[in-house]
Amino acid sequence: MSVMSVRVIVLSACAKHLIAGLVMLVLAGPATAHGAFLDVAEVDAIRIQARYDTGEVMGNAQVAVFPPDDPAQPWLVGQTDATGHFVFTPDDRTGRWAVQVREAGHGAIGYVEVGANGTTTITQGSAGLTWAQRLLMIACVVWGAIGTALYFRRPRPTKAA
Amino acid sequence: MHIPDGILPLGLTLGGWVAAGGLTAISLNRIAAQPDPRAALPRASMMTAAFFAASLIHIPIPPTSVHLMLSGLMGAMLGWYAVPAILIGLAFQAVMFGHGGLTTLGVNGVILGLPALAAFALTRGFGHVGHPIARMLASFATGAGAVLLAVGLFAAFLLAGLPAHLDAGAERTAIMALVIAHLPLALAEGMIVAAVLTFLRRTSPDMIIAR
Repeated sequence: MSVMSVRVIVLSACAKHLIAGLVMLVLAGPATAHGAFLDVAEVDAIRIQARYDTGEVMGNAQVAVFPPDDPAQPWLVGQTDATGHFVFTPDDRTGRWAVQVREAGHGAIGYVEVGANGTTTITQGSAGLTWAQRLLMIACVVWGAIGTALYFRRPRPTKAA
Repeated sequence: MHIPDGILPLGLTLGGWVAAGGLTAISLNRIAAQPDPRAALPRASMMTAAFFAASLIHIPIPPTSVHLMLSGLMGAMLGWYAVPAILIGLAFQAVMFGHGGLTTLGVNGVILGLPALAAFALTRGFGHVGHPIARMLASFATGAGAVLLAVGLFAAFLLAGLPAHLDAGAERTAIMALVIAHLPLALAEGMIVAAVLTFLRRTSPDMIIAR
């Protein structure tokens, strides 16, 4: 019995060496191909820049790119660089790609419409307003508020009269 | 403190609308119960205009910039009227300038409306304090506290609605930086509320609803 068991141990030791050798061979296999190649090609990429309405760039903000056929699941996530830029190349799916940039609860969505023949149309998330436009809009709302205030301040006829 | 469209999940957005609807219903009910609900409308209207314009005044606090909120001042001066006033102001800001959004109007209404009501309660609670300096300090605490509460609610909503694809750690750090950037704003708004209430108490105390 004891001889048998020794033999088994020897056999198993042999098997271990054999397996280890095979694993080494398998692992070493790809390393025997030394050549590496780079296929370089030009592609059309989309570059976005995220900014706050104060003009300040959204640097290192989180970006999620949503493909046309699945607007709920991001196809690509990443970060803008320090200057608020983010570059990506959509795959061959046509339709409306959405790019969302967010940082601490502030954010915006921009859309890129990719056509069948590779044409792209870019829709801004929100249009930037000039200060003159802003001032005019503020003035309109404030004037509306003044009007409302004056309306409710007017003397009301008493019911007895 | 404006959460734009597309940031929060649907459940939170709907919950915000329900909560804002409830707050508005309670506020309108309380306003209707007043002897003359129309009496404070001119003031509410002017404060809405001030609230609307204030969010466009940016104060640069590196690395970000913050804007005035005024929800403490709204609550102290308007009482229950502050809730509809804030919602109207937020709706205008969302439609005209893209600050916040229409889907998040409810959430933003809660973020600024609750601090306004808290400021109203505080101003009324400290109304009997006689010493002018103590009253000024209470007004300061009202304004500063409203900003802190609003920032806290803002961060809580964002953290509760972080999507899975986001780098949660980076977003938490960004939110924390934003919260810290609002601490000087809390001081500024505390001083604004203290100055305005002290001035009004001396000149025309009728202007403060929560006397």
